[in-house]
Amino acid sequence: MAMSRLSFRPRPLDIHKKLPILKSAREFEDDDPTAAAVAVARAGVLLRQSAPELTAATTATEGEGNPTPTKKNIQEIPTPQFDAVDTYERDYTRTFAQPTCYIRGRGARAEIGEFVEYDLDNEDEDWLEDFNNERKNLNPEKLEVLLFKLEILDHKARERAGAITPTFIGPVPVLLQLDAAMEALQYLSVRYGVFQAVYSYWKDKRERWQKPILRRLQPPPPVNDTNPYNVFRPREKAHRLHTRRMQRRENNIQSFEKLRMVRRNLDQAKALMDALVKREETKREAMECEVNLRRIQMKYKHEAQLVDEGTALSGFQQVSSRFGSSEDDYADSDDTTTEQPYIRPPVFRPRFADHKLSIIPTLRIKRERELKRRPQQNGWVFKRDPEEPVLLFTRPLDPEKLLAAGIKPPPDPPIENGATMPPFRCRGRIGRGGRIIFDRWNPLLQTPIGQETSYYVPYSRRPPSPES
Amino acid sequence: MGSMEASTAPENGTAAAAAAAASTVCNGAGGGGGAAAASNGGGVERRLRSSAASASWASHLPLEVGTRVMCRWRDQKLHPVKVIERRKSSTSSSPADYEYYVHYTEFNRRLDEWVKLEQLDLETVETDVDEKVEDKATSLKMTRHQKRKIDETHVEQGHEELDAASLREHEEFTKVKNIAKIELGRYEIDTWYFSPFPPEYNDSPKLFFCEFCLNFMKRKEQLQRHMKKCDLKHPPGDEIYRSGTLSMFEVDGKKNKVYGQNLCYLAKLFLDHKTLYYDVDLFLFYVLCECDDRGCHMVGYFSKEKHSEESYNLACILTLPPYQRKGYGKFLIAFSYELSKKEGKVGTPERPLSDLGLLSYRGYWTRVLLEILKKHKSNISIKELSDMTAIKADDILSTLQSLDLIQYRKGQHVICADPKVLDRHLKAAGRGGLEVDVSKLIWTPYKEQG
Repeated sequence: MAMSRLSFRPRPLDIHKKLPILKSAREFEDDDPTAAAVAVARAGVLLRQSAPELTAATTATEGEGNPTPTKKNIQEIPTPQFDAVDTYERDYTRTFAQPTCYIRGRGARAEIGEFVEYDLDNEDEDWLEDFNNERKNLNPEKLEVLLFKLEILDHKARERAGAITPTFIGPVPVLLQLDAAMEALQYLSVRYGVFQAVYSYWKDKRERWQKPILRRLQPPPPVNDTNPYNVFRPREKAHRLHTRRMQRRENNIQSFEKLRMVRRNLDQAKALMDALVKREETKREAMECEVNLRRIQMKYKHEAQLVDEGTALSGFQQVSSRFGSSEDDYADSDDTTTEQPYIRPPVFRPRFADHKLSIIPTLRIKRERELKRRPQQNGWVFKRDPEEPVLLFTRPLDPEKLLAAGIKPPPDPPIENGATMPPFRCRGRIGRGGRIIFDRWNPLLQTPIGQETSYYVPYSRRPPSPES
Repeated sequence: MGSMEASTAPENGTAAAAAAAASTVCNGAGGGGGAAAASNGGGVERRLRSSAASASWASHLPLEVGTRVMCRWRDQKLHPVKVIERRKSSTSSSPADYEYYVHYTEFNRRLDEWVKLEQLDLETVETDVDEKVEDKATSLKMTRHQKRKIDETHVEQGHEELDAASLREHEEFTKVKNIAKIELGRYEIDTWYFSPFPPEYNDSPKLFFCEFCLNFMKRKEQLQRHMKKCDLKHPPGDEIYRSGTLSMFEVDGKKNKVYGQNLCYLAKLFLDHKTLYYDVDLFLFYVLCECDDRGCHMVGYFSKEKHSEESYNLACILTLPPYQRKGYGKFLIAFSYELSKKEGKVGTPERPLSDLGLLSYRGYWTRVLLEILKKHKSNISIKELSDMTAIKADDILSTLQSLDLIQYRKGQHVICADPKVLDRHLKAAGRGGLEVDVSKLIWTPYKEQG
């Protein structure tokens, strides 16, 4: 059993898969009576190998009867050494009464302002002792207040001078002048001589330390400082970015250049988009004009027809208007790269199966209309091949204008390596938006490209000749 | 904020130090050097030997870094040590006036300390060449591979989660403890590790901490003066849990920067693989206190990133030495998972885990998971266990696998939950410590202001 288990690698465990819980050892044994024993033994070995710390814990907790704990044990769990402080009860007063509700934090000391955050250090105490040997007129609490206030005032002076740096990049200078300090701290009513002495002691200390002596005001080390003895450097993480990629980005010259390039690209894209919007607006206007024109033409033609034949097809008006609305459906498709509007209206590839029924009568009506229209053809429409489907909103190309503009239709058929490619033809037209379009025709089916499988085949006609 | 290190030892871990207290030769309680030690020593033979030794060693004082010697430890027994560093103990220029920073080769690095010359038994000085000199001499003959192999075998036990190189670098930076003792409230505590206090504090073997705002000072009078004006009686944040005399405070490192930094300086004295490299702004500190009529006394804390991408729910954890072995560490771990449950997230402690940290966490995971498996009847997925406990799936897998409870049978994984086996593992994992009463936790997950 043990061997067979080693001989293959178990499938990785899927954490979402529900695992059976086997409660009794008998369930383990069902296929091999020794399996459980092996498993238990193996568990023991594994425990000792992969988790020595757990074994240590086992020994530690079960070791009550064990008089000689292992050496390893001593290393793992050292005895913490501590003593009671005999002055504790004097130093800390019994003045705390726990409120019944949970305590809410107040603002930090810095915000409250009146708390004297500075504590004298050895140097201050030694200086004060020397100072008082001569005059005996300054107590430590007062000195603490003075040094604290000097630090705060100097910090404010540096703030006003815009000299606060976010990190420690060089010695922090003293900007506070004696007379300014004296004036600001008048309310402490310290004699001038004493104040002057304290000020010069403070200034001297500040210049030696090259940084504020109040810890809160000391700038943190720079982000790129790698000295492990300097601590609490700011982290860029403060403004947490959302993706790992963004987190990897640093604020350096390179990333600045990259961002500038991105900006340039975006500006260009915006200019392009503005031009595009303008073009589309113009196109829409042009198309609206064309629609109006066609409507007028159709109306005019129908009226003429009704007059001409004296017959009115029942339901004709309705179908006609439906046809008109389905043209509107196609109005947008001209912009797609696979342009095939030239054929579409008559073919009516069903976009939805349930349109099928309504399409056929439409086509029939359409053909009837085509036939009936012939006598009244006017303008550019009359040039059409009668078999050719009506292509609304497009116009034929004017070869002279093309020539004048230097536009050549694609050559047909192209010749490559002396061999003639299967012939294909192009037909030019002016699309709805006023663009010049050359439609390629499939040489086999003689239909426009993209229409090969269409319902068009039954309507096959003679191949159209290129207009140029 | 680097790694974490829980200091919750099983209740009856070691009694070795206490048990051994009475049994030694009392040697060199006063006296300045080798000769004094010898004169108290006893037998004629020994005196002869030692005086000879001291005569020869007097000329070698001060001892070189790297010297191996026996040293009297706090159990009053002699233990082998290696000199790591030395310094002048006074302004006099006598070669005997040095103190030595020694590593007890039998013990964990956290017990390294400064000792006076009279604690060293100079008879036992080994004429061992300084390791660094030796390294230089042999490095030419050794291939890089051989050298690395040697380096790797020298790595201390108990930090299996760190690679050898970073561990050695770390030890080099922090090899000498700067602060030997601190006074914090009721207790004077021996420290375990180096902590990067501002340079102004480096000349002080003992620091006095204000128990509430954790400001630290070099002299007792400074602390006493501070206590008269200190306006805090509890950590400066919001109380989010109270059960009996036990309270938990949440302190925002951004709002209370100096407090957060003070706490980090203090904690580093007891945590080996903690880094103070980055600022405390991005962390919340959960400070556990025992409260009485003097105030709320910190017993331990854990820190937590405000937003962790790696789904860390704990960065550093510490129970202060006087409060260790009382179940507070287990309480802190359990509390960190209760916060994760309230956030509706799974969590995991930041890596690497220290020796004691891994031990505590394995214990917690084992207890929580095995209690569920004992009661659970139907099939269960690792993901479901994770959702129930807020323990990350990886930690569940590693725990169950290390106990060999997940086995592959007949083409599928199964969980082997024989009650007897579970009980055995549960017993090994130790007791659960103080319970977290979730109904007393009044807390909303951190949200960025503005």
